[in-house]
This record gives sequence, structure tokens and C-alpha cells, in this order.
Amino acid sequence: MAKFVIAHMYPDLMNLYGDRGNLICLQKRLEWLGQECEIRKCFLGDQVDLGKTDMFFMGGGSDREQELVFQDLRTRSEELWQAVQDGLPGLCICGAYQLLGEFYKAADGTIMPGLAFFGLHTVAEPGRLIGNILIEAEIDGSPSSIVGFENHGGRTYFDDPELKPLGKVLRGFGNNGKDKTEGLLYRNLVGSYLHGPLLPKNPVLADFFIHAMAERKRISIDVRLDDGIETIAHQQVEKMLA
Amino acid sequence: MFKIRKLLALVTGKALIALSRALGGQGTNLPGRLASFIYPPLLSELSRNITGACFMVTGTNGKTTTCNLAAAIIREQGFSIVHNQAGANMLAGITTAFIQNSDLLGQRTHDYALLETDEANVAPLLQIIKPRYILITNFFRDQLDRYGELDITVKLISSAVKGTGIELILNADDPLQSNWPSLTGLKCLYYGFDHTAYDNLDSADSRECRYCMLCGHELEYSYYHYAQLGRFQCPHCGHHNQQLDYVGSELSLEDGIAFKIGDLHLESRLQGFYNAYNILAAATLALESGFGKDIIKRAIASHQPAAGRMENFIIGGKQVFLILVKNPTGFDQSLAMLTGDIHTKNIFMALNDNAADGRDISWIWDTQVELLARSEEKITGLICSGQRSGDMALRFKYAGLDTSKIVIEPYLRKAIERTLGLEGQVTYILCTYTALFACRKILLRLRDR
Ligand SMILES: [Zn+2]
Repeated sequence: MAKFVIAHMYPDLMNLYGDRGNLICLQKRLEWLGQECEIRKCFLGDQVDLGKTDMFFMGGGSDREQELVFQDLRTRSEELWQAVQDGLPGLCICGAYQLLGEFYKAADGTIMPGLAFFGLHTVAEPGRLIGNILIEAEIDGSPSSIVGFENHGGRTYFDDPELKPLGKVLRGFGNNGKDKTEGLLYRNLVGSYLHGPLLPKNPVLADFFIHAMAERKRISIDVRLDDGIETIAHQQVEKMLA
Repeated sequence: MFKIRKLLALVTGKALIALSRALGGQGTNLPGRLASFIYPPLLSELSRNITGACFMVTGTNGKTTTCNLAAAIIREQGFSIVHNQAGANMLAGITTAFIQNSDLLGQRTHDYALLETDEANVAPLLQIIKPRYILITNFFRDQLDRYGELDITVKLISSAVKGTGIELILNADDPLQSNWPSLTGLKCLYYGFDHTAYDNLDSADSRECRYCMLCGHELEYSYYHYAQLGRFQCPHCGHHNQQLDYVGSELSLEDGIAFKIGDLHLESRLQGFYNAYNILAAATLALESGFGKDIIKRAIASHQPAAGRMENFIIGGKQVFLILVKNPTGFDQSLAMLTGDIHTKNIFMALNDNAADGRDISWIWDTQVELLARSEEKITGLICSGQRSGDMALRFKYAGLDTSKIVIEPYLRKAIERTLGLEGQVTYILCTYTALFACRKILLRLRDR
């Protein structure tokens, strides 16, 4: 049995939409696979030892809260970027996803800089993109259907042609409602607008992170879990969107 | 010409209300919407038939119960009242309520109007009706997809009331309402609870606002009543709870609710801290409007819970409770009550994602379903129903509950029958708004069979 540590970044500030479901999902699945999992909450100003962290998770927040988080993150952005390049798994939802880009342009024209890990930017445009969404992603080499719920005013555009989205939008809006892309996949880092319980309904994505974490620990986990309920929940959304 | 249109609007509205009643529906939105389409100034004109005052009640949780309690007080005094039905709190629903209480010429007068108003409808309604008071219950996380964020809701309402001269009745224990005197420039009256025996030093609930509205620093709490309600102070700018105008003290939640406001002793058959707030809010509104203490005391003591607010049925000799859940706070309160029940129980939960339920079901992950796992041996089964039954089942599964007890049955009737067939001593039927009336109808039919 190995112990996995998942850092929940700014759970008090970046947690508007039931993102907690993703952490509960990873923790439970690891436990069912006979592993131990600790969710470590990291608040503003906390020292995070990324060397002892197997994955990080960051959710969405309001503009005000996002600004506080950005000021805190920029002090350690180099270390975080190095870890991401080394394959540290991470899941960044909504606001956290936007922070990975170069800037966010608010509705009133204010430009808020981001961590600039990737050549992408976000613009707040009139009208929110809300609803259930279905995308097709390539996870561990095979095409997988992913369902979720999106609710964002920001439109994210890729400026770097090398960037790969998480998936192709089949129903819904995705990054910007125009180019049929949704999210970002870079090594083991996923950015996405699919908020709330993304992983429980998409066990294939949950297991992508679990495999990535295990691989970095050089242990092999290949026990299959019974995903009967997960599959029904997934299909209910697929059917609704059909 | 216009009088004819008004008559036509009223006739159409009344006919639609009658028709939808005959078909067994609630008839709450369509009549108002269509009548306003026929005669746009209808709501504005009918609202002028109120001779006393209009009261508007808004906020996230507790609107319906607060309005029902206030309506009971007004009726106890013998006044006539226009009051929109539970949940029909958009403009169309409010228009329907006025049509229902009007005569065909649109001239019948009433003493009071009590308008339960959805947060997003406060601004448009203020364009039409100017209430004497606006009462706000609380601002909790609720149906985020309709508003974007709680901040926006708060801003939307506070800027809509600015400069209107309307008096506000606010919850002093809610940090999202504490800066309203300076924010709105209006006269603000505050109600709230004193330190109670049920307060915690640390809150386990989902806390929406732990940050100061004025400067963004984290608030310090000396205690929480529940959720983010409590005694707080900002260590940076000194911002803190407003002075209380109406103080609830000596709260008891044993066997109903009892507390004092000054020398007024109130007792109610309702349960839970959240209902104590609803009673305090309704009593504050009534006291401020000059209603007598005896009237208030009597109306609150005799008030019964409304549909879905813990309605009780006996089916096949066993207790069945019907409970409406709409958001994490309400769901957690129901879960706490359920785990407090020592009987063996059958649990049913219908999760829908229609507009009135909130399209986004993410909120179920912000609830403390894990509470149920603590007394799992008392649970005979967890029957998940409704459009998002799969998501509900997932939530139960990931709370660590035994999957052999979890059943997915999207059809309400089949699912309820299956739940009642389990051997538990008590049955809890929980459901979101658009499943409530269908579930209630099924239960009534089963009861009368
Ligand atoms: Zn402050």
C-alpha cells in the first residue's frame, strides 16, 4: 500500500461549484484500489512541498478571489511549472484553468495577468456559456466520451498552435463556443471548464490521474473497479444531449 | 379599448388558473405570463388595489416559510392578503397571485400583499411595485447557474434598491448583508440571534463568504449559528455585525422551536435552526408593521409546515415524510434530521435538473452525505430517482455507502413504490422542486388507496 498526497489548492477561495466531488472521487477510488490518499488543503501563504505531492487540484472562484490566488501563486510559479513539466498530475477547473494562461480580460476591460504557463488567454464576453456538455477526448491513447456541466463568462483562446485541447466539443460550448475545443491537456495537467463532479461521472479521466500518479511513484495499479453506477450516470447525460 | 384588454387579460388568466387546477397542476406561471402579454400594465394596476402595504421577501433559503408565517400573522389579524404560492416567485407567478385575488374588473382591494420574490426578479419587480419593506432571509449558495455567482446576486439586489427609499429588514448574522446601510443608503433594520446553546466555534457547513465584503480579508468568527451565519469581525478593517434591532434570545430547539424577542415568547411546531430564523424574520416584519404581540404569538404557534417542508403521510401504517431539498444547506439540514432519527429508514431522493431545480446538479457534492454513512445500519435502501438519478447514486456511492443498497430508478412512481416496499420503519421522500408535486400526488394516491 502506498500513500498518495493530493494538494487541494485554496479550497476556501477557489471552490464555488462542488469541485470537491473530484477530490472525493480520487480519494475513494485510490482507497478502493487498496491505497491510502490524503487530501492536503493549501491556503494562501502556505508552503507546499511539491516534491511530496502526487497531484494538485484547483477549482474556480470569483474575480476578487482569483486575484488573491494569483498574487500568492506567482511567488512559486517557477517551481510549479517545473513540476508540471516533470509530469506532476494536475486538474485546474474554470478560474484555475484561466490562470494558466497569459491574461484574463475582464468585462470592464481590465487585464489581469496569469501565470503564463501556456500561450492562451481568456476574454470575458457578454453572455454566459451554460449547460451540459459532451466532448470526445483522447485519454491514454483511446477516444473517450466525457460529460460535464459548464458555466463560464470567459472565452479561452489558444495563441500557441502547439497546444492540445482536452477534447473536441460534440455538444455544448467548450473553450470559447466557436472552435469546438474544450480544455487543455499538457503532459499530466488538465485544464477544463467542466466544473463540479467531473471525475465521478468520467472514471476514465479519474483513472488517467491515478495511473499518472502511480507511474511517478513507480508502482503499478491495474485493479479494475466496478463502474456500473458511474456508467449509468454518464449515459444519462449523454442521452439527454443526444 | 384598454379596459377591454384588461378584462380579457383577467378572464384569460382566471380561466387558465381554473383549467390548470382542474388538470391537477399548480397553475402558477402561465396564467400570469399570458395575461401580462395581453395587457402589460396588469400587474402594476392590480398592485394599486393594495390599501395597506406590500412586503417583499427575498434571499436564498427560507423565503416560502417566512412568507407563510407572515401571511398567517396578517390573516390572524383579520386582514385580506395577496400572497403568491410557494415557489412561484418569478414575475409571472406574482402576477398570477394578483389575478387570482382580483375580480374580473380588476377592482377588488386587499389590505396587504406579501410577495415571495426570486433574487433575480427583485430588480424587475421594483420597476412595477414599490413595497413598504424588503425582507432578506440570507444569501447562501443556490442554483448558481442562474446567476453566475453569489456576488452578482448581492450586487444585483443592493443596486436595485438604492435610492428607492424602501426600508430593509436584514439578517445581521449574515456577513453578506452587513454593509448594506452604506451600500444602499437606505434605512436598514436588523434581526439576528444572540449567542445560543447550538452555536459552534467551527462550522462544518459549506461557508460561502468567509471574506470581508469591504476589504477582502478573512473574517474571524467568535461563533457560528450555522453555515456562515454567526458573530464575525474583520481583523483588518474592523467591519462586524450590525447592531441588532430585533434580538432572538434563549433559543430552544427541543421539541419544536421556542425563543424570545424582548418580552415576546414565541413557540412553534416547526423544527431546526433555519426555521427559527424564518420565525424571527416574520415576527420582525410584523412587529415593525405594528401588529400586536398576541396576534403574532398565536399565528406562529398554530402554523403548520407547508407542502414539502416536512409533510407527513401515513401509508400502509407507516410514517412517510416528504421533504423538498433545493441546495446544499437545505439538504444538509434534512440529512442531519434523518441521521437524528433512531428508526430504521427507507430513503428516496429524486434529483431533477429542470430550470426551476437549477440546471447544475454540482451542488450535491457540496453536501455532507457522508453523515448518512455513520448510521448506515439504519438504512434499508437508497432509491435514486428523477432525471439525474445516476448522479445522485454516484454521490451516495462516493460518500462510502454500501452500493448494494443503492438503486437507480428514474421513474418516480416505480421508485416510490419500491421505496415503500422496503422494510424500514420510516420512509423519507426527498426531492428537488420539479419532482415535489408529482411525488406528493403519488403519495396521496397511495395513502388513499
Ligand atoms: Zn474588512
